[in-house]
Order: sequence, then C-alpha cells, then structure tokens
Amino acid sequence: MPESALTLESALSELEARARERILAAATREELEAVRVEALGRKGTLAQISRQLGSLAAEERARVGRLLNTVKQELEQLLAARQAEFEQRELAARLEAEWLDLTRPAPGPRRGHLHPITQLQYEIEDLFTSLGFAVLDGPEVETEYHNFDALNIPPDHPARDVQDTFWLVNGLLLRTHTSPVQVRGMERFRPPLRMIAPGRVFRNEEVDASHEHTFYQVEGMMIDREVSVAHLIYFMKVLVNHIFQRETEVRLRPGYFPFVEPGFELDLACLVCNGRGCPVCKYSGWVEMLGCGLVHPNVLRTSGIDPEEWMGWAFGLGLTRLAMMRYGLDDIRWFQSGDLRFLRQF
Amino acid sequence: MKFSYNWLRELVEDLDLDARALGLEITMKTAECEAVEPYGQHLERVAAARVLAAEPIPGGHNRKVTVDTGRYGVRTVVCGAPNCRVGMVTAYVPAGTELPDGRIERRVIQGIESDGMLASGAELGINRDAAGILELEANPGDPLPGCVPDQILEIDNKSLTHRPDLWGHLGLAREAAAIVRKRLLDPVRIERLPKGPAPIRVAIEDFDLCPRYSALVFENVTVRPSPLWLQYRLQAVGLNPINNIVDVTNYVMAELAQPLHAFDQDLLHGDTIYVRPAREGERLTALNEETYRLDPAALAIADARGPVALAGVIGGLDTAISARTRRVVLESACFQASSIRKTSARLKLRTDASMRFEKGQDPHNTVRGLARAWELFEQVSPGIRLVGGLADCCRPLSTPPPIELPLDWLTRKLGRAVPEAEVRDILERLCFVVREGGPRVFLVTPPSWRATRDVSIKDDLVEEVGRMIGYGTIAPEPPRVACTVPPQEPLRLFLRAVREAFVSQGFTEVHNYSFYGEDLARRFALDPAEHLAVANPISPEQKLMRRSLVPLIYRNLEENAKHLECFRLFEVGREIHPQPQGLPREIHHAVAAIYSRQEGEGNLYELARVAQCLMPGAEVRPAAPRSFEHPARAGEIWWRGACVGRLFELHPALLAGRAALLDLDLERIHELGPEPKRYRPVRRFPTSAFDLSVIAPQRALIGEIEKLMVRLAGEDLDSIEFLRTYSGPPIPEGHQSVSFRLRVGAADHTLSLDEVGEIRARIIAGLRAAGYDLRL
Ligand SMILES: [Zn+2]
Repeated sequence: MPESALTLESALSELEARARERILAAATREELEAVRVEALGRKGTLAQISRQLGSLAAEERARVGRLLNTVKQELEQLLAARQAEFEQRELAARLEAEWLDLTRPAPGPRRGHLHPITQLQYEIEDLFTSLGFAVLDGPEVETEYHNFDALNIPPDHPARDVQDTFWLVNGLLLRTHTSPVQVRGMERFRPPLRMIAPGRVFRNEEVDASHEHTFYQVEGMMIDREVSVAHLIYFMKVLVNHIFQRETEVRLRPGYFPFVEPGFELDLACLVCNGRGCPVCKYSGWVEMLGCGLVHPNVLRTSGIDPEEWMGWAFGLGLTRLAMMRYGLDDIRWFQSGDLRFLRQF
Repeated sequence: MKFSYNWLRELVEDLDLDARALGLEITMKTAECEAVEPYGQHLERVAAARVLAAEPIPGGHNRKVTVDTGRYGVRTVVCGAPNCRVGMVTAYVPAGTELPDGRIERRVIQGIESDGMLASGAELGINRDAAGILELEANPGDPLPGCVPDQILEIDNKSLTHRPDLWGHLGLAREAAAIVRKRLLDPVRIERLPKGPAPIRVAIEDFDLCPRYSALVFENVTVRPSPLWLQYRLQAVGLNPINNIVDVTNYVMAELAQPLHAFDQDLLHGDTIYVRPAREGERLTALNEETYRLDPAALAIADARGPVALAGVIGGLDTAISARTRRVVLESACFQASSIRKTSARLKLRTDASMRFEKGQDPHNTVRGLARAWELFEQVSPGIRLVGGLADCCRPLSTPPPIELPLDWLTRKLGRAVPEAEVRDILERLCFVVREGGPRVFLVTPPSWRATRDVSIKDDLVEEVGRMIGYGTIAPEPPRVACTVPPQEPLRLFLRAVREAFVSQGFTEVHNYSFYGEDLARRFALDPAEHLAVANPISPEQKLMRRSLVPLIYRNLEENAKHLECFRLFEVGREIHPQPQGLPREIHHAVAAIYSRQEGEGNLYELARVAQCLMPGAEVRPAAPRSFEHPARAGEIWWRGACVGRLFELHPALLAGRAALLDLDLERIHELGPEPKRYRPVRRFPTSAFDLSVIAPQRALIGEIEKLMVRLAGEDLDSIEFLRTYSGPPIPEGHQSVSFRLRVGAADHTLSLDEVGEIRARIIAGLRAAGYDLRL
C-alpha cells in the first residue's frame, strides 16, 4: 500500500524531532556520528523516506520533497554545529595538555665572554674608526730600529732605561710600546695619515699586583698640514669622554717622551673621589692616563716626511691600566690569568 | 729625585708658595712632583741636653740618666748608648714626639720611669749613625743647629730624563723662580776661583769622551764628621753623610747637579791625572768594595800607576778620603753622556754621579762646582788651604747657535696665539737670550745648561712657551681635514669576527703570555731549538716565544678544571716562527677548548660544528696523533682544499677529565675565504626524500660514506642529513648501520616515483660496488 503524503510528512516531523533531541543529547563524537548515520546515512531514516517519495503524486512529491530537504538541511547544520563544538573542546583540551614551563632554563651553552681588554680595545677602535682613523697592526717582535732609533731614541739614550727590554737571541726585541707601529704606518702610507694601533707590548719587569711584563696599549697618530696642541687636546677629550661615557675633566702637563716635542702627560680627574683625593690617586685628585705630544720632527724626518710641510700628534694609552681603572681592579695579574671565574664577569 | 723645600727657599728670593703649592706648579709646568712629604717635623721638639748624672742599672747595659734639657727642665731617662757620659751634650726627645720610627712614650724600663729619650742621629733622621747618641756643641735647651722641619718634594726621575739641569736644587729653583717671577739667588761665587799655575796636570786623551776636566788641590785638610746641618740636609734628600769632605762633594752635586770626586792626593802616584780609556785587563776596586775588570770601552781616571776611578761612575777605594787624609785633589769634570751610560749599564752600577752624567751635563758647570765646594770646605774643615791655581783642561766651549722661532709657526703649533711680548718674557725668565730675527721671528739662544741635549730646535721652544702659559689655557678644537676612507686591515676585521663567533658559541676569551719554558715545549712535542728565545728572560718558564698556543691553553685547562666541572675557552693570539733572516713570522691562531670532567666525546663534535660555523663545508680528516693527543681522537681540519687546523682530544694522561681542542690557522683561513656569493636558481619543484642505511665496519669513516653518497647522487641531490648509527642485532658483529636521509629533486619538474626509484637504485648500486652492504 502506497504511503500517503500525510504519513510521510508526519514521519519526517518525527524524525526531525527525535534526531534533534539525540543530536543535542550526544555526549561524544561517536554518539553524534551514530545519530548521523541513523538519520542521514545512506541507509538512514531520511534515505528510506526519500525512497518512498516516488510513490506520491507529482504535486505531493514536490511538497514532501521540499519538507525533506528542509529537515535534512536543518539536521546537517545542527550536526555540523555540534561537530564543531566537539572539535573545539578537543583542541582546547589538547592545547591545555601541552602546557610548557617556559621558566625552565634553556638548554645549550650560554654566550661566552670577550676578554675585558679586548672589549675596551674594540670600543676605542670603533670610536677612532668613526673619526676616520685606520686601525693598524704591527709585529710584536720588533727591530731595534723601529722600537727605538726611528722614534728618536738612539742607542745610549737614557730613555731606554725607562723601558726595560726583552731582547731576543737574534738581536731583535719584544716591542716595549706600540709606538713602532707609528713608524710602520708612516712607512706604508704617505701623509695625511690618521691611525691607531692597539696591541700587546712587553717590559722586562717582575710581575706583582701592579706590574706586568705583558700588557696592552693603544697608539694613535695623526699627520696633516695643520696639527696643533689644540687638536690633540680635542681628540684626547673625545677619547676620555667616550671611554668613561661622561664628561670627564682632564689636565695636560709636561711629560717627556723622546718621540714627541712638546710631550705631555694627560691626567684624568680621579673617578673614585671625583678629584677630592683618595688612596687610588695618592691624594692628588688626578690619575695619570696617557702620554702624548706633537710628533718630533726627527721622527717624521726618519720616516721620510718633511717636518716643514707636515705636523702630527701622537698618543700612547695603557689599555691594561685603563681597564683596571674602569673596572676597579686592584691586581693586574688577573688579566693574563686565564681564570674563567674572573673573565666571566665581563 | 728628592728636593728639600728649605733648600729651594734659600735659592729663590722671597719664595712665598708653600711646598704643596710649589709642587703643583712644578708638576704643571716642569716635571711631575709625585709627593710632598714632611721631613723632620719632630725636630722642633728636640732640645740639646747636658748629662748631669748616669748610674748603671743592674742587669744590663742601660743607665739611669739625669739630663738638663733647658726647655723641658731636668728629666730622667733610661739610656743604653755606650757613649753616654756625664758632662756631654746630646739630643733630648720629650715623650709624645713622633719620630720617623714611631712615637716616643713615657714608659717604665727596668723599674725606672723613662721620661723621653736621648737620641742618635739615625733615630732623628739626621744621619745614619746609630752607634751612639748625638754629641753636640750646644747649650741645654737649644734646638739642634741647622736642623729644622722641612718638606721634601719628590720629583719623578723619568720626567727629568731630558733635563740634566734639574738634577740639582739650583735647577729646580730656577724653574720655581721663573714660574713665580722671583729672583734666583745663585750660591756660586765663581770670582773666588784662584788664578795662577795649577799644582797638578790633567791629560785628556779624547775630548769627545771628556770635554772638560777641572780640579783644585787642597792641603791642611781635617777629615771629620760634617756639621749637623750638612748631615741633616744630605739625609733629607736621601744621601748618606760620610765625612766632611765627601759630604761637601755630595752637597754640591745635590745643589748644582755637578758630581765631584775627592782623591787623597798622598795616595795618588805622580802629578798628572790621565783621562783615558781603560786598558784591557786593568782592574779597579771601587768605593763600594767591588772589584771591576775594565776594558777600553770604559773611561778611566788614572794616575801614573793605573786607574783610580771609573770616570763619571765611581771612585777607587785605594785613593779614597779617610781619617788620615791631609791633602785632597777635587775633581769636577764633564763626560760624554752615552759613554757613561754604557759603562754604568755594562757594570750594572748606577750611581748618583752616573745618573747625572748620562743626562748630558753642562761643561760650564765644572768650575762652578769647584768654587762652591771651596767655600763649603772652608766652613767644614777649618784651616784648609788651596794649593796653587785651578787645573782646567778642556776643549774650547761652544756657544749653542741661536734657534729661529717664527711666531706664527708657534701659534700654529700651539693652536693658540701668545702675544710676542709674553713669548719673550717667558723665554727670558727661563734664561734664554732672545733677539729679533726679522718680522715676527725671534732668534733664541738657550742657556748652556739647557743646550747639551734638551733644547736645540724650535720645537723645543714650543714646549717652553706652552708649559709656561699652561696647557690648560689652550682650548680644544677639532681639526679641519680631508674626509677620506682610511686604509683597511682586513685580517683585523676577520680576527674580530672569529672572536665574536667563538663568544657567541659559549667560549670565553683568555689572554696568555707569549712565552713558555723548554719543559712545557717538549711536553707538546715542540723542539726548543726551533723557537725564538729571549736572551734575558725573567725565568726559565718564560724563555721561548710560543710557536703554538696549545701549551698555555693546556695550563688554562689545568687551572680552571680545579674549580669548574665543564667550560669552554679560547684564545686568539700569535704564533712566533723564527725565520733564517729578519723578523719572525707572526701567525694568528685561534685555539678553542671544551673541557668536561666526565664524558667528553661530544666535545669534539661540538668543536667540529663550531669550526664549520666559521668555515662552511669544512671537514675533519683523520690524522696521525701527536704525543700529547688522544691516540684515537685526532684529526685535521680541511677547508677549500687546504689543511687549516687540527682537532683533537688532549691525551688523558695530561689532564684528569676530557678536553677537546681546536687549533686553527686564522691567517690561512683568511687567505682562503670567504666563498664569493653567487645566485643559483632555486629548485621550484617539490623534492622527495628517502632514507638509506649502510652496513659498514665499526670504524669505517662516516664522513667517507657521506662523501660517496653525495658523489653518487650527483646533480639530483638536494640535501643529505646524517641520522644515526646503530649496532646490535641484526647487524653483524663488528659492524654498524649508518643512516642518512637524502632529498632529491630536479630543476625543471617534479620527480616521478619511478625517477626517485632510479636514483635510489643508482646510489645503492654504487654503495654496493664500493663494498658496502645496505639494510633495506
Ligand atoms: Zn682619588
């Protein structure tokens, strides 16, 4: 017996009501899937009803068909919404379970440390590079000529006593200052010339808390047509303010170095007591920082530069001592100790 | 060099700066005054005292002494001095006085209350005599004659290197007078020098070595201790009082910077003083009681028999002044600075005289020294008489040529204009003679005491003017110069990048010395003979210039392993390789190390990885181990066809724990790299991956297998990744399975499954042909 349209319509309503109820009640994705298969699957209730449509008259078929589609769409929407709800919940649960303790120390080695003197040296290199200076290098094993003679320190000059020298068996020596790089700079490049030369130097001294036989200096030199004491003071102030990152008071007083004339010692207002006097500055309020001066005409002439045409200034800064000042170090021996407990502080 | 403030005040009229202010002026304008220290402040409280009674105290050599101290009344003190006797006048120090060696307190000694003390010259800082208490000719209560509180200015010797004139008080007084614009009081009365024939002859062989030798002869000399004021003054400036004759020579030296030497004339042979190079094999026993073997490089003062003094350095013992001396030859000479310095350096004998002569003394000063000494001799040795006239042998004294000083040039040099009149005034205050040499040009003649070495060119005059106007008056000013790119040193930048790379990988930079000892060298298979050696090392451990950074890195490892479980460190430094001729090669190396107290094989791979960060594509090749390397863990680092370094574990016998080391020749690496960058088309089509596991003998080199696979895959290879090794069933005994993941592709299409299969089959066939089995 063919089903009446009415019967089919009521079956659809019943299906919709029951399915809706079960979809809403489903507690798991599996239950939801079971409802879907039962109601909307290929062999499901809706499919069965659909197969019976053929027996209806055309007009009724169209009406019941529309109803069927509406029921199908509504159930599908409801299923999709519930489906999304489950997925959302599962994702949230998974993510929650993936909690990580981000405060746990990260694995792998930590960044190492540049030697404090290297750091200071780089700062000075960068400053002078920005001012248009070349950074030059020279040998640590030097000739007597470059270390002394060419710097206006002839063989029996008393200034040689001030710099106790390590001599090598072949007659060469370990440079006692970075100043020979001035000479090498002048040999390599013609004036005008602006250069600095940081590096390791050697003095034959017993080592104690304030003396080292191996330490670091930076040499600086500028040769141009017009070079004056006023320019030298300018550069020295720039240097000191840069190193200490503040306006620092300096004073220039006579100092003797055979390769400059006039020669100066540059003192820095004591950073510990701000010039009031303390043990660090031996109660003078000042700390000796570097030697400098106008390049001696003999030095220019020896390197083939006409002192009537060119002038220059030069300075030599003890990096090791500066590092001690900056970091408040009381024992110079730490620098060459290789002790990581010290080096890791910088 | 020590300067007495009281002494300076005698030489500058109305010097009204106190010692500290004077010290600061000297520092800013002349030479560094390192300290101003009070000296003899206690002397104000010391009084002459007559010993009234002295009773021995049983059980020792101390005596209970009653003294009349004048100022302080009669006091009782305990005194142990052997020369303490009734009736003598000595020095009394009241309780509460600070002496150089401590504070004098009232205290009970052997049951007797000692109220102050009787003092020796040494205790009072007047001389170095500690044998007994002072013996004075004074009335009770008097202050010690000529011994008043003083201030000592300590001037840094280094800052006097170029100033021979400042090695005496008069020189510094001259500076002070110029600074404060006061009159200098010259203590020398040159007109008193006797005329007439000299009683001795002086023969100078080489006037270059001795431009001038002057001498006076004295008779009826009494040798005895100097008066207290003289002893005190010498002691205050650090000179040792000896006797009146020697003390005067030292006093004149400390005042005029002119060293003098006194000979006992009766002990000299003949009447001629020879100034000549010593002869080979001659000997001299000097005042310090050392005997020196001389050679012709040393200049000798000799009599008819041989050397009696080492010129400008030290006198001979045989002709020294003694208590028996009645006649004195007083030498005042000038010697060549470099010759004195050489002799003094070679004999390792630096004396007050040699320090002055090696600065280049003024030949005009010799006779001034004699005139001053004569005057002082008369004070300290009553009855002394001059014999004959001045002996003075010299070559004609030259006047230094005037220096042309263009004033505009001076302004350019200083960077500040100084008025013409001020320049003239400054130079004249410093005793330079200034004449007009044309428009805005001065002709400047330095005084003789500045002309020996110090001032000879116009640049020297820049300093004179600059220091006197004060460098603080010159305003800093940036120069106006061409804006050019400075020359570059690419290696320096590379070294910087290398340091940065190591630091970013967790390594901390160390600085080690440039030398080590023979023992350490041998431990690291380095032949001491192949090193450049220091001729005058501080110690045997610092004798050889390092040819390798490794030995001292080893020391770092040893030391740090005492405190730390595991660590990374590195050094970038220079190896020194001697060459047959000229300078050695200085080759920059980096040595990096990873230490761990426990397992350490990962350290080697970590270092290999770091090496590859520096040199992409670098590979490790096995190498024969050296004696200090773990015999089964040593390799070479190869990059771009060259061996550029070494990777190894330190031999476990050298160090507890495990240390992996990487030694790189940075110069070689810098020469090779970096690879020029060029664009290659990107593979646009998807690539495919497959894994291959090779069965290989346990010690087969994985790097070799990888290289073989890369070769076999050829153009098709996109990337290859090492996955793991595995040994154990079912892999046969003594073998391992080595797994790689290969990714292949083509430039112009996506590879089909068949194509991927063909590539895989080709690689497998190739591996089999090379003798490897595969685990498929
Ligand atoms: Zn201070």
